[in-house]
Amino acid sequence: MDEYQATHLDALFGAMSDATRRAILARLAQSDARVTDLASAFTISLNSTSKHIRVLERAGLVTRNVQGREHMLSLNAGPMAEAAGWLEFYRQFWTDRLAALEDFVVKKRHTDKHGSKQ
Amino acid sequence: MTQAQTTVASEGGKVVVKRTIPATVDELFDAWLDPESLAQWMRPGTDALSTAMVDARVGGAFEVLMHYPDGPRRHHGEYRVIERNRKLVFTWISDATHHAETLVTVDFHPALSSTEIVLTHERMPDHDAGLNHNRGWTAALQLLENLLAR
Repeated sequence: MDEYQATHLDALFGAMSDATRRAILARLAQSDARVTDLASAFTISLNSTSKHIRVLERAGLVTRNVQGREHMLSLNAGPMAEAAGWLEFYRQFWTDRLAALEDFVVKKRHTDKHGSKQ
Repeated sequence: MTQAQTTVASEGGKVVVKRTIPATVDELFDAWLDPESLAQWMRPGTDALSTAMVDARVGGAFEVLMHYPDGPRRHHGEYRVIERNRKLVFTWISDATHHAETLVTVDFHPALSSTEIVLTHERMPDHDAGLNHNRGWTAALQLLENLLAR
């Protein structure tokens, strides 16, 4: 559980809480894009687009590749996979717990039958 | 592991774990709601101990403290549905859910000499009263699912 770094996830959730930023991520999931492409695709100002992208960069969701005057943006889905890690964690957690539950009831039945308490 | 076991991970953003246990549905249902029993099996391994508190009624709270060498870890929540020997639904909050509320449903299917338990753990369905933080969580997982499904 310690692998879950709260501050890191906070940045991620903060970034994901905005509809425009989610739309930007969905667009980048299709292909890399320039900042100007995104600004025209979402009919928002270049300035506003840049702000959203900086939030996404801070959360590690978007990486920027500068080639001359071109800034190409790519999606980095890694942090989202990290957030989804709770599913994997609980798959193992509940598998182990249900095995322990079986051990418990089987032993308890044995104790109740053969124990000296009753 | 002597019994057939099916595990379906991460399907549709939820975890489903099934296990057929050679015990009666009474024995198994009680093991979830009796705090002394719960503490016996809801623990992280054979060495570490747990303490459990259970208020076994709809709206009642539970808490499981797992005592690891480096300190206790707390899991807690509230019972939403208690249908004896059939169904148990409770919320589940812990470090591993980033303190977001998640939902656990335990279905009990009694057979001749055993009982199948189907446990489903999922994030909360969207609700307006949710915190921004929870909405971000839901949105992140939703987007991830969409990406993984591509």
